[in-house]
Amino acid sequence: MSAALNETAGGWEPLIVSFCCNWCSYAGGDLAGTSRMSYPVNVKVIRVPCSGRMNPMFVLRAFQRGADGVLVAGCHPGDCHYTSGNYQSRRRLSAFKRLVEFAGFEPERFEVRWISSSEGDKFAEEMTSITEKIKALGPNRKMRDARWQSVTSKV
Amino acid sequence: MAERNVESVNKVREAVSQDLLGGRIDLLLGWEKGHYWWQSRPLFARSEADLEKLAWDSFCAVNLSRYLLEELKDHDKVGVLVKGCDARAFNRLLQDNMVRREQVILYGLPCPGMLDYNRLVEKAGGAPLEITEENGRVIIKVGSGEQEAQRDDLLLDKCKDCRYPDPAVYDQLLFSPQGEKEVTERFKTVEELEEMSAEERFGYWEKELSRCLRCYACRQACPFCSCRECFVEQENPRWQGRAYQPSENFMFHLVRAYHGTGRCIDCGECERSCPVDIPLQELNRKLIKDINELYGDYEAGLDPEQEPPLLTYRPDDPAAFSEK
Repeated sequence: MSAALNETAGGWEPLIVSFCCNWCSYAGGDLAGTSRMSYPVNVKVIRVPCSGRMNPMFVLRAFQRGADGVLVAGCHPGDCHYTSGNYQSRRRLSAFKRLVEFAGFEPERFEVRWISSSEGDKFAEEMTSITEKIKALGPNRKMRDARWQSVTSKV
Repeated sequence: MAERNVESVNKVREAVSQDLLGGRIDLLLGWEKGHYWWQSRPLFARSEADLEKLAWDSFCAVNLSRYLLEELKDHDKVGVLVKGCDARAFNRLLQDNMVRREQVILYGLPCPGMLDYNRLVEKAGGAPLEITEENGRVIIKVGSGEQEAQRDDLLLDKCKDCRYPDPAVYDQLLFSPQGEKEVTERFKTVEELEEMSAEERFGYWEKELSRCLRCYACRQACPFCSCRECFVEQENPRWQGRAYQPSENFMFHLVRAYHGTGRCIDCGECERSCPVDIPLQELNRKLIKDINELYGDYEAGLDPEQEPPLLTYRPDDPAAFSEK
């Protein structure tokens, strides 16, 4: 993932990193694809085994390396492949979301959504919606690693 | 401070010397006077001569429980003097399986709160030479005379909003308990920060965190930071960059605070040990406040049997994001 992605010849485009759980949300993305639904190319999907795998440092590292927004998507509560992964992540990520907001990030920059494998349409909608919100907010400079910023400015 | 203080030190000394000299414990963790009269540093007592140095005054702010992590490697049985916060720190370590209860004897000291030297200087308008304490008042001697002040106004920040001055766990309680204190301003600064716009808040933290030297004193002093390998030293993946940059400072402070979610006992040692006065407690308290709001009241360190909020869940938990 390079910060250079954010600024193209055609102007600024947001980079959104979406961590999708393998069993629901990633499959939801697959369904969106096979159903020929489209969603913005700004979203880069990273597959994780479960939303409970989310280490909050993944999110901060994404912001450091050029993400303008981060979305974590997992199975709906009660549907976790590992029975309780998303219950755990609901608590952890709720606390973490409040913490990053407290540190000065806009609430839209970090989001969590539950998307099941049958919700291809919801996957496409959520990806479109977060991209639009981040586009309206503009580029994220908070926590951006200065060394990565210098790469961006050269491009 | 003279007589009352001598009396109470003797009482503490008497209680521990039996155990230490009788061989019931191999080491006693207490306090001794530091270089200046307004400093009390940890004392590692192994002999009668060591016990002579024991201090119990208004400057014993250092949380001793944390030293157990190192000392239990070399000693079979350790005695520790515990104030309210030290006892909660001990429970924290117990819950993390970092210490075993049977290896430790706790001598409980209900704590009147510790004094802040900077506040003494401020109140006295110069370097104080000595203090005397009487019935909740402090008489500060300076070169030009004396100043009197309310003891409560001179407390360390970490003691001002302390709810539990009495040890939550002990084998022997050396003085009569103080009772639970009512605190009203614990989340005041957090609430003020919450009122700000995102941009202002970021500015605030960028400025505060820019002073960070990354000395990790906050981590070293902290009873919840007990990992054998801390993420800041991990090489692969290297989460914490070494460069001096705002981004790396945010990374350290957010992750440090986050690791205390539902675990921080709010003892304030991180902030007290910070050489550049970063308001670290506000990050910790923000998490305490949110966890209490979202998942029910929880005071870390009070009851080691109660499960920390992030180690458990309920199917009907609320979330801080849209669940539609």
